[in-house]
Amino acid sequence: MMRAEPWQSAEVCGPTKAQSIKKTAVVGALLKKAKHPLMVIGAQALTEKTRKKPMIDYCIELSTAGNIPIVATANTIKAFKEKGFDNAYSYGAMEITGRLQDHDWMVAPKKGPHDLVITYGYPYYMEWLMLSALINFSQHIKTVTIGRYYQPHATWSFPNLKKQNWNDALKEILTTVGGAK
Amino acid sequence: MKVEFALTEQKRARLKADKLDTGFGSFRNVEVTIGKVVDDDWDEPMGPTPMPDVTTLRSWDHKLLTRYRPAYMPACQLCCLCTFGKCDLTSGKRGACGLDIEGQSARIVLAAANIGCAAHLAHSRHMVDHMIHEFGPRFELTQGEGVEIEAPVARLVTGIRPRTLEDASAILDYCETQLTHTLSAVHTGQEGSWIDFESKAFHVGMIDQVGMEIADLAQISTLGFPQSDPEAPLVEAGIASMDPKKAMILAIGHNVVPATYIMDYASETGVTENIDIAGICCTAFDITRYDAKAKIVGPISWQLRFVRAGFADVIVVDEQCIRTDILDHAKKVNSPVIATCDKSAMGLPDRTDDDTDEIVKDLVSGKTPGVYLTDHAKIGEVVVKTAIKMHPKRKKKGSLPSKAKIQELAQACRQCSECIRACPNDQPVMDAVLAAQEGNLGPLADVYDECIGCARCESACPNDYELHSWMVKAAEGRWKQESFMVRSGRGAIKDTEIRTVGQPIVFGEIPGVIAHVGCANYPDGGRAIHDHAEEFAKRRFIVVFSGCAAMTVGTIKDEEGKSIYERRPGTFDAGSVLNVGSCVSNSHIAGAAIKIASIFAKRNLRGNYEEIADYIHNRVGAVGISWGAMSQKAASIAAGFWRLGVPVIVGPHGTKYRRMLLGRADKAEDWMVWDARTGKRVQVAAGPEHLFYAVENFEELMVLTAKLAIRPNDTAKGRAIKLSHYIDLHETYNGYFPEDVHSYIRRETDIPITLKDKIHAQMKENKWKEKPIPDPTLVRRLVYGGNGGGE
Ligand code: SF4
Ligand code: SF4
Ligand code: SF4
Repeated sequence: MMRAEPWQSAEVCGPTKAQSIKKTAVVGALLKKAKHPLMVIGAQALTEKTRKKPMIDYCIELSTAGNIPIVATANTIKAFKEKGFDNAYSYGAMEITGRLQDHDWMVAPKKGPHDLVITYGYPYYMEWLMLSALINFSQHIKTVTIGRYYQPHATWSFPNLKKQNWNDALKEILTTVGGAK
Repeated sequence: MKVEFALTEQKRARLKADKLDTGFGSFRNVEVTIGKVVDDDWDEPMGPTPMPDVTTLRSWDHKLLTRYRPAYMPACQLCCLCTFGKCDLTSGKRGACGLDIEGQSARIVLAAANIGCAAHLAHSRHMVDHMIHEFGPRFELTQGEGVEIEAPVARLVTGIRPRTLEDASAILDYCETQLTHTLSAVHTGQEGSWIDFESKAFHVGMIDQVGMEIADLAQISTLGFPQSDPEAPLVEAGIASMDPKKAMILAIGHNVVPATYIMDYASETGVTENIDIAGICCTAFDITRYDAKAKIVGPISWQLRFVRAGFADVIVVDEQCIRTDILDHAKKVNSPVIATCDKSAMGLPDRTDDDTDEIVKDLVSGKTPGVYLTDHAKIGEVVVKTAIKMHPKRKKKGSLPSKAKIQELAQACRQCSECIRACPNDQPVMDAVLAAQEGNLGPLADVYDECIGCARCESACPNDYELHSWMVKAAEGRWKQESFMVRSGRGAIKDTEIRTVGQPIVFGEIPGVIAHVGCANYPDGGRAIHDHAEEFAKRRFIVVFSGCAAMTVGTIKDEEGKSIYERRPGTFDAGSVLNVGSCVSNSHIAGAAIKIASIFAKRNLRGNYEEIADYIHNRVGAVGISWGAMSQKAASIAAGFWRLGVPVIVGPHGTKYRRMLLGRADKAEDWMVWDARTGKRVQVAAGPEHLFYAVENFEELMVLTAKLAIRPNDTAKGRAIKLSHYIDLHETYNGYFPEDVHSYIRRETDIPITLKDKIHAQMKENKWKEKPIPDPTLVRRLVYGGNGGGE
């Protein structure tokens, strides 16, 4: 395991730093507690792989196991639709970042604001800024990023992980929500 | 003695003194009006807001900012601008001065726009003062034949029709005053509200457009540039277009004046055939506008590769977007550097008062690596003489290592990943270095393709590897072939062109005007710009370029080896791809939109900003795009478009501007307009949906561009055309029929015929009801017959 420090150089953050996910059970507990979780997934899910499969497959598994709706940004939505997954909604990354600042807004027709957001699939600097918006303006939301690199603006983030450790951690999270085969 | 000098609103210069001592005696209470700075033949009535102050147009800004709420994404939560701080502003905490994170974030937006505007305005001031010095204050300004409205932005904002350099100078006086005010608002303990910081950013963006327009008008009028010429010459670009047998002068920056003296000196002394003069960044375009035989190296991000490859026998820097460490890189390849601008003296000795031959001698011998010169004539002579002497001496020696050397050095790589962590584009530099250990330089060459030439990987590498040079060497086979044609800057859009396309644009039958502007901070190379332009030109949009984007688009060639400029006409018309010129020329794009309101719709533009902006926002489907936006200048350019109500899209690095302007399509109350005919409040569809938006990737750019071209005023035919482009691109890139089409249908006739069934089904599902098509305005006083009455 590498250190919990910003991955991209010079991306030094302010006083609030994400807690490093040392045990994946934490994520399971957060998901269990959350009333209206949401996953916000960017286009790197189409190219990055975990355990030889593109991350989009993992996102579908996690979403299905935890019954978590997905906001798929940019063209990511196309791949979700092609895979026959119907719990994905299309918004731009900036759009969803803006919408989540509205306490009354929800992606799916349910009551109450989202209280937990899982992010993945953006250029490092972009996710950094999206999470910064949420930390400052959506205090009702906890954020968990499941990318390989430490994102200090999340509430919870992996430290910078080696590929194998990341694969293992993702699998464990899936298991905690009852999804791994 | 108290003396006042003022430019009156009618633009007469007035001198007032309580006591004046002259050679003829002493006078009391003197008031002299010095001629007419501007002729008064202009019969267009003065609008309500000539030379608006910082808050004059505030209510207009607030209208836009209420619909398009800023969404802030602070880079960090600290402020360290004054000694009260550092202050932690996280999640609603306030700093010692009382500012919160929204205010601070908006302050950063204003700071960026101020800096950008200052850079253009100082350039403009230098240009105008220099030209007054050269040609006199009464030298007439022109954009050439077919252009009556020579400075639409200046006319709109100031109410002045600049006829001469003297008028231009008076307009810049106004701009400089405004900039001082908006800059002062950033000081601790001044503005505190986000919406007013934002309004000031809009204001300075508008001022920036005026400054840019004046700069370009001055250089077009005096330097023999193409004047609103759709057939501005095609010029050679790319590294392979340089002739290694010639002495090479490389000009970097934005202010063409010093380079014109170099070209003049070369031609006066008959050595033109012995030298190549080429440029990087906007000076590149402006030298080709001055002389079509000059060459373009490429955009800003090509500085390092070109310098290190050893081509330049002399490097001349003027202002803006120069690598600040250019001197260090130049020293390594023995290229003398001549700094020519007070903004970037580069720490070099001022040798302006020294003998020319002495200076040349010291540069050629290497006694001094560079000099700072302020005398333009001297710059011309020193640069040409030095280049000619350096050429045989340098033998184009670069600092790129051999391939064998790269392989040898790569063996010591520590696999620390620091190069990857430093790379803004997350390039797999380390993997490429590891491949190089085995003698495989392919991966390094691949990194080159997506590299923006920042050299951050080098700075980070504990082994001090010159990694960017390694990539450049690895990709040698590619850039040595790089030669392409770019259309030089045409300048403004003709009034006659506007007459032809004004109506189809306002009705929506030409589905939009796309303005690609700005820098080369591309996320994955520049190909996206070309593919975007080609696709939208095919769809009969008008695609306009300026600045570095205008070079990048030329780099992609078709099977016949032709660039987009060779394939498509340069007129302002459907399906055309035109280049207005350098960064300051992008003011002509705003100018074209303003002229549509004036020429086609016959609206008065003189001092009438709000009405014209309202017109453009509701009717002209223009979309600004800066795929590689990098600078503060790009921020102020965007701010100028925002105030005109024109949406701007930036590439993913544009998220680092840290604030978007987002509309909420789901909130009907945000999309209310006045119907100018009836005075009624009417709801329109969300178009344009956002005012500032950073896209994640090319695919999102394609879909969003089409969508942001939609305007409330589209005719049924226009709306149907715009929707069919949006639907088609959405289906291509997002893979399905967009779910919000029904919200854009006002009447049956808005439906694209071929998509009738699908849209009908969607309308039914969403309980669609027919909606009125208003004569839309956000400004109540513009309701006909005075039904409004201020708001
Ligand atoms: S300007 Fe205000 S927020 Fe910034 S350091 Fe000073 S007191 Fe703190
Ligand atoms: S020079 Fe190129 S590879 Fe190196 S950090 Fe900059 S963009 Fe990345
Ligand atoms: S920074 Fe230098 S030493 Fe470290 S991995 Fe990259 S090339 Fe190797």
